[in-house]
Amino acid sequence: MTLGPFLFLAPLALLALVALPVIWWILRATPPMPQEAALPSLRLLEGIEPSEETPAHTPWWILLLRLAAAALAIIGLSGPIYAPGTQADTGEDGPLLIVIDDGWTSAPRWGELVDAARANLETVSRDTPIHLLTTAPRSRAFDPATRTERPDMAQRLASLDPSPWATDRRDALARLDASGLTPQRIFWASSGMDDPTGQTDPDGTDTQTGLSGAAFATALAARAPLTIYAAPPRTGMAITALDVDATGALVTLVRVQTATEADLFVSALSRDGTGIATASAHFEAGAATTGARFTLPPAALSRADRFRIAGVEGAGAIWLWDSAARRPRIGLVSDGEVTQPLLSDLHYVRQALAPFAIIEEGTLENLVLAAPDAIIMTDIGEIPEADLGRLTDWVTGGGALIRFAGPRLAAQGDALTPTPLRRASRALGGALAWDEPQSLAPFPPSSPFSGLPTPTDAKIRQQVLARPAPDLDEKTWARLEDGSPLVTAAPLGSGMVVLYHITAGPDWSDLPYAGVFVEMLRRSVAAGQSQTIANADGLYAPQLVLDGFGRLVPPSDLAAPISAADFPQTQPSEVNPPGLYQGPAGSLALNAARDYVPAPITDWPAGATLLGDAEARALPLAGLALGLALALIAIDLLVALATAGRLTTTRAARTTALLIALTLPLTGPSAVQNSAEAQVYSEEELANPALLMRFGYILTGDTDTDTRVREGLNGLSRYLTERTSVAPSTPDAVDPETDPLELYPLIYLAVPETARPLSPDAIANLNAYMRTGGALILDTRNGASVSGESDFSGLQNLLAGLDAPSLAPVPADHVVTRSYYLIDSFPGRYSGRKLWIDASTITPGERRGDGVSSLFVGDADWVSAWASDARGRALYGVDGGKLQREYALRFGINLAMHILTGNYKEDQVHLPTLLERLGQDDDLADEPEGAPEE
Amino acid sequence: MTYLNNLPALRIEADALARHLPRLSAQTRASDAAHLGSAGRRRAGTGEDFWEYRRYNTEDDASRVDWRRSAQGDALFVRETELETARSLYFWIDPHAGFHWRGSEDRPTKADRARILSMAIANLLSREGERVGLLGSGQPAAFGKRALERLYQMIASAADPAIKDDLIAPKRAGAAIIASDFYDPIDTWATRLAPIAAKCRDGVLIAISDPTETDFPFKGRVRLSRPGTTLQRILGRAETVQTDYAAKYEANRAALSKLAGKLGWQLITHSTGEDALVAAAQLHARLSRLGERA
Repeated sequence: MTLGPFLFLAPLALLALVALPVIWWILRATPPMPQEAALPSLRLLEGIEPSEETPAHTPWWILLLRLAAAALAIIGLSGPIYAPGTQADTGEDGPLLIVIDDGWTSAPRWGELVDAARANLETVSRDTPIHLLTTAPRSRAFDPATRTERPDMAQRLASLDPSPWATDRRDALARLDASGLTPQRIFWASSGMDDPTGQTDPDGTDTQTGLSGAAFATALAARAPLTIYAAPPRTGMAITALDVDATGALVTLVRVQTATEADLFVSALSRDGTGIATASAHFEAGAATTGARFTLPPAALSRADRFRIAGVEGAGAIWLWDSAARRPRIGLVSDGEVTQPLLSDLHYVRQALAPFAIIEEGTLENLVLAAPDAIIMTDIGEIPEADLGRLTDWVTGGGALIRFAGPRLAAQGDALTPTPLRRASRALGGALAWDEPQSLAPFPPSSPFSGLPTPTDAKIRQQVLARPAPDLDEKTWARLEDGSPLVTAAPLGSGMVVLYHITAGPDWSDLPYAGVFVEMLRRSVAAGQSQTIANADGLYAPQLVLDGFGRLVPPSDLAAPISAADFPQTQPSEVNPPGLYQGPAGSLALNAARDYVPAPITDWPAGATLLGDAEARALPLAGLALGLALALIAIDLLVALATAGRLTTTRAARTTALLIALTLPLTGPSAVQNSAEAQVYSEEELANPALLMRFGYILTGDTDTDTRVREGLNGLSRYLTERTSVAPSTPDAVDPETDPLELYPLIYLAVPETARPLSPDAIANLNAYMRTGGALILDTRNGASVSGESDFSGLQNLLAGLDAPSLAPVPADHVVTRSYYLIDSFPGRYSGRKLWIDASTITPGERRGDGVSSLFVGDADWVSAWASDARGRALYGVDGGKLQREYALRFGINLAMHILTGNYKEDQVHLPTLLERLGQDDDLADEPEGAPEE
Repeated sequence: MTYLNNLPALRIEADALARHLPRLSAQTRASDAAHLGSAGRRRAGTGEDFWEYRRYNTEDDASRVDWRRSAQGDALFVRETELETARSLYFWIDPHAGFHWRGSEDRPTKADRARILSMAIANLLSREGERVGLLGSGQPAAFGKRALERLYQMIASAADPAIKDDLIAPKRAGAAIIASDFYDPIDTWATRLAPIAAKCRDGVLIAISDPTETDFPFKGRVRLSRPGTTLQRILGRAETVQTDYAAKYEANRAALSKLAGKLGWQLITHSTGEDALVAAAQLHARLSRLGERA
């Protein structure tokens, strides 16, 4: 049923609107929830009758809210759809044909095309037969004769993907004719672009293989009433070319709608998809093409594997970069400075390769680390042993090592040559020689050099000779007229070692002067990575192909190899999808939009109805209406809670946030979690609990002990904050089995009499904590014993397995007695007790680390003396009264200082000596006990 | 926070309160409340410890002359011992759930206020050598630090609803300090207090209320319930009963005052919205004058 621009899927549900007055009546009679309150003096109210117990009204606006929620729910259930492009039903249920362009030019607005097609589905009745025709040729295309019902067609449209190749509308028309379908209506979701090969002709017919979009529309309109939705790409749609020079790369972009200015970004991506660089492109108003320039060092650029227009989907927005187009990186091994640069061998190599390659120079060690495509060495006799290993690894991993001979190599060679060499060089045409200087023979057909012209004027005067071997012939890439090898090569791992039996300079031959020398070098460079340059015969098999959205995927089984000769003329198709093809000469890229000239369809046939963007949409409103109804109910719930007094002011914000988070899932769950945990830690602490220094204590399970330790550490922290620059936060209870102990500089363990032994996990964690610089303080709290000796026998049971060092009492001159205050005892609740620490930290010679003992053991019950409440009032009694409590606090401050500063304070030991040398020793001797030593 | 079962915190509050109060020199003329005891009254009287030598008066019995002292001079001296008396004071704190209630998070519960008051006063009394005890605890009133400590612990844990609601008369005579909100009907209270009054001639009723209970700040549709009971009531418009409630409240307090007068006891009304020191000072003054009427 349609109602204006609205369409109702279940119009009968609207009948429920009749029930609204009944709902209104019921709601009016239901009073709101009363506010709950406790009142102990309620008995006083006995006998009081309220003078006016009015029946509570529901306020009119709550009524309105609830009625609106009910109405919205009913409307939502009736399934309304806003579809302004709906045509009035013709009343006949003839077949509807949906034609959809699924070439790569449709990809940027594919979602809109599919939506338009699905919106058109909504306008026909459930039983109308629907047929589908896709215009890009596929071997498994939908047969237009297949009759489909509406729900199936919606699913089929949703599962349809654009193809990475272009449309062929002539083929589509032929398939439609072959199906013999006579549709009642036709809807064409068009990409708005002509076939790349089609050209519009004045008489509407084709000129080449393709059929123009206008001609296709005319042909469709001749069959049935035609509705067209055309969605040409809005912005830059494709990369059509890539130019690389020494300073960077230029990416050429095209677009269709040229009216306004536009800015785009192009990213260069490496093989694994990480971005290397981004360049911006700017379309002037009216311009259809522009360029994005990447200014990058060649070494960085060479890592780029593909370019992509940011934010644009489709195979055309990707430009794959094959190895043929990439500049190789070549390392030249230079041995420091050269007195006569123009006569240096390297000069010739550099000049020959500079236009084609990125050249780096340096020592062999650095070059191997930089991992170029090829390394060229001129006349290096014996490679040092360390470098040889690295170099061999690099070659094995796919590098091409190109060596030139020379006097040094002739004198003493190493193993890294393609073939064993004779320990001498052969001179041709010298004064004492019989032979004339020789020319090159034509290159053997199996050699990568085959096809290059044979230089006749280049004479070879001297060379090193290969030792005859059975496989020497296979390894020879070029030979002299008399057959002796001039260039030999042998694979090593996946790399290649190439040896020119002559020098790179003109000393031994004229070859470096010849033009063919450049080509020979280039092909040698490409020998690494088992790439061999341009063999016109080889087959290139698809390795990675693009899908319709421009993603790299493995090739389907339909993709076929392309021969190298056909490659330049190949147009992307299902058999040859755009992508990277691997062949004998490296990889070649078939790009979807190479040299593409966008041609929008302009002259639509007069009989067709053209839909704009707005009309082509159909907006289902059911979800919206139901969501609104839910939101209104949520508001009603909040109001009800507020009137019932369940929303106290402090909790209101949190509850509201919770409800909003529930109704709007987009806000995410983080807010809810935060509000729940905010009572425990502040936001900052929650973000990183390690930001604040705090003491830790181990829970013993004995409530009284745990409370005391917490209060004691609280008190100590408070006094530290008051008196020193150390400001610890609230102490934490830690579980040594699970918690990260390394966050706490000091962990206190008060041992109750009824202590349970710690678990092996806890002991292991405590051991790690002590090893890594933590300080564990053990307090047995039984210092009340009459004998002066401390009894630590219980500890062995509790801490079995603890990696305890040998302990000794703290001597009087230990740093803990003066790290902040000058003290001479370590009292807690009990005075006169000893403090035991790691014996090795007492003797300066044996000390390790920062000199702080990892273990402090005592029985003076320090926490009880430290404990104080929030206002600083002491909580527990201390044997010696106020004075002893003060001394206990001073000891606590000293201990914390000692643990936190390590042996820094101990360096003050030398202070008297230093002052004495300055002649100021009197001041220090008079310092009263207990004064801060600062 | 609530101080329930948190003895250290309670002790701190009570001790702080006690520090603000002067010494409690209770008059001891109420003879039936007095017992011989070891705590000195710091004045001459019946006791064991030496207090002072004073000149012989003609009305003194000749046998009282201290000849050893008198032999040192011409005048006759009489040896006086220090008066040693102690009274028993019994505390009671309402264990009813409605008493462990507060109208707002920033106020203590009525019971906590009563505990702090009782502990502070008990502290003062104990320092003067009086016997202190808790009604219904089964323990007699006693003096000394240990007795005070035991009283502290019992008061701190007296929130246990398992403790019997009923007031149990002490075995020994003394003075009673009863803290409650007294919202039950006055007749009930008269019945409950009668056995106590029979044993204790003196007593103080501390009626502690929450500001919510005095002000009745409810509006609109409210369901009121009494904590600890199933009693509840729905009011359509709570503001309409406010004046009636206020009148009832006043009547309750007047009746309570009358009851106290009938028993010969004192009444202190206190709101948890006020400072604890106000009630403590009132209580202090009442206790100082205990027995004056005799």
